[in-house]
Amino acid sequence: MLNAAKRGGTFPKEGVKKGVKKGAASVVGAVRERLSASFGAEKLRAMLRVASHPIDGFYEIRYRGKGSVPLAAVMAALFSACYTGNRIFASFVVNDVDPRSIDGLMEMSAIFVLLALFAAGNWSVTCLLDGEGRFRDIVTATGYALLPMIVTTVLAALVSQFIASGEEVFYTLIIALGVAWTAMLLLTGVMTVHNYTLLKTLATLILTVLAMFALVFFALLLADMIRQVYVFFYSVYVELAFRA
Amino acid sequence: MSNSRRLVAIISVVAVMLTQVSAFADASPYQSYTYDYRRNVVLTPAPYLPGTIVNGASLGIAPLSQPRDIAASDDGRLFIADTGNNRVVVTNATMTRAETIITEFDNNGVTDRFSAPAGLALSDSGELYVADSKNRRIVVLDPDLRGVVKIFENPSHDALPDDFVFTPLRVAVDYADRVYVVAQNMFQGIMVFEPDGAFTGFFGTINVTVSLWQRFWRAIASKQERANTRLFVPTEFTGLDVDPYGFVYASNMDPLGVKAVRRLNPKGEDVAIAGVSNNLGGDIAGVESGSYSGVSRIVDVAYQGRGIYSLLDSQRGRIFTYDREGDLLYVFGGLGGVAGTFRSPAAIEYAKAADGSQRLLALDYVRGDITVFEPTAYGALINEAVGLRFDGDETQAVDKWRDVLRLNENLELANVGIGKAYLTAGDNKTAMRYLKLGMNRQYYSIAFKRYRNEILKDNLGWILTAAVSLAMIIAVIRAIKRRKSGGADETGLMSDA
Repeated sequence: MLNAAKRGGTFPKEGVKKGVKKGAASVVGAVRERLSASFGAEKLRAMLRVASHPIDGFYEIRYRGKGSVPLAAVMAALFSACYTGNRIFASFVVNDVDPRSIDGLMEMSAIFVLLALFAAGNWSVTCLLDGEGRFRDIVTATGYALLPMIVTTVLAALVSQFIASGEEVFYTLIIALGVAWTAMLLLTGVMTVHNYTLLKTLATLILTVLAMFALVFFALLLADMIRQVYVFFYSVYVELAFRA
Repeated sequence: MSNSRRLVAIISVVAVMLTQVSAFADASPYQSYTYDYRRNVVLTPAPYLPGTIVNGASLGIAPLSQPRDIAASDDGRLFIADTGNNRVVVTNATMTRAETIITEFDNNGVTDRFSAPAGLALSDSGELYVADSKNRRIVVLDPDLRGVVKIFENPSHDALPDDFVFTPLRVAVDYADRVYVVAQNMFQGIMVFEPDGAFTGFFGTINVTVSLWQRFWRAIASKQERANTRLFVPTEFTGLDVDPYGFVYASNMDPLGVKAVRRLNPKGEDVAIAGVSNNLGGDIAGVESGSYSGVSRIVDVAYQGRGIYSLLDSQRGRIFTYDREGDLLYVFGGLGGVAGTFRSPAAIEYAKAADGSQRLLALDYVRGDITVFEPTAYGALINEAVGLRFDGDETQAVDKWRDVLRLNENLELANVGIGKAYLTAGDNKTAMRYLKLGMNRQYYSIAFKRYRNEILKDNLGWILTAAVSLAMIIAVIRAIKRRKSGGADETGLMSDA
């Protein structure tokens, strides 16, 4: 990982050196450095490679520092935007969503929470089961795996503009392909970053789902307890306020 | 002084607020609405408004006592089954005075009386069919309402239990004088009598539906538990009407609130069509909460004409009107204490007014009165537009639908009506716009397909030309490249070797 940061950082180093003399330029240089470390051509190429050569791609992410968590976050945001866009713009023939019920920000936060929950759940399971992947690798794999669905939701919305009823199968097929591809990538991703066998991956994925439920449960429990503590202190305050 | 001034100020403020609350400025004591494609309530102008109220006082007779049914003749007379008073009241053609009060009649030389007459029907020849419930018979009176033509009683059939007691509640008669009877505790269906009085069997039986979940519980329940659970018996029919083609409309209380009316063909098969919402049960369940909630309890059905029929809901006092295609046209009415609302609605009937408009008569059995609802411009336009479509005159219907849209821009039905007409006329693009506004996917798709073909046909020439020339250009470029790099490849191969 250190390697990766260095390598990502080597590229705009001259800019940084020059920027030391001029304040504004140094800020610009630093930003450029950070950006290229996260979203540089090398990172983008690694992400595209994941979609076409998943096993090699995920291996490079895990062991050669080619992954980028910010890029994974951008992919998740992009996916949520495309998902919402599909719900809005897919043609009337295939789209039964009430446009008034669509809330892009709500959907984005839901998708982020779900993905974060998956990553956290998977990490907590694989930690105990000899998984080699770090949390950042899981996050990266999850985000990168969304690429096919980003492409297919947009493509399907485009195709839907040209189909009539009876031809919905083209639309559904594209969507289904995207889902299948993403599922395959997610499976391969988990398998590769943890260096698991297929069977073990499937088992940990089932455990991951259970862990996600457990996390939700604990989160709700925690929230409730915090509320109770708050209510306790608040009632103490009220008591004091009325007695004083 | 200042107090009264303040009062005036408050009243005027409230008055201003009230006028702003009612979006449609008519003096309607209820809200009228319909459901859109997404099952949202969409308020509409009132399709019908209450007019005169007919009761004992207005007719100049003793008050009606728990009347259970009404029937209207073509000449405008109204027949009221005054159940509690054991009589049938017949009004004059304007429904202002009681013309005849039938308390006794001549039964083959013997003076006879009714006992709790509950249902009424008029045949095409003007004979009055009375479901004489406590006398356990159907009495048919001649058009002069003096003598008995025939009496249907003591039905016997293999399907009837020996201890069966015939208590007719509703009666209907078709153009061939076949008689359809809804009897108390008769779960097998509607009883059908031939004109000669023979009971021929049951009709339109409602099948019991047992959900998988109920089946599961029954399967794991013990014998004792099973005996204690409620029996799965079919619901009884509540109301009857017959259209001029001999189809029987029969209403029932559907506990699921999705299928409260059946349109039965002469074989007794249900041929009612449910529209896009797939619901013929009044209010779409789950829209309200509290004591006012629950599915609609449909107690009567009335055929208006040209495929349109109405259902009466006693739960919330509303009247639902559907067209032949099962689309909900409009909903109006409500429970309450002011004129035009109900306490306990029991029956509805359509009556043609002198000006040709279809008036709706609704009977309230606790109050013992009949409210006459007159169609508004909005309601009349919808009836006419739907009727024109029923007659197959789509082009004339469009003008009516346009007028409807002017009164209620959000009515999907009107948009679909106009869209279909454009589709027939060949203007596919405009048709697409209206059909999408009307949320009709099926017809939108047809319009879209035709529009797509149009565009393809118009542009296929240059699209193909462009495609062919592009292919040729690519082929030429490739050929040139190959010639250029061809030598390199060969040298490459040679150098490898």
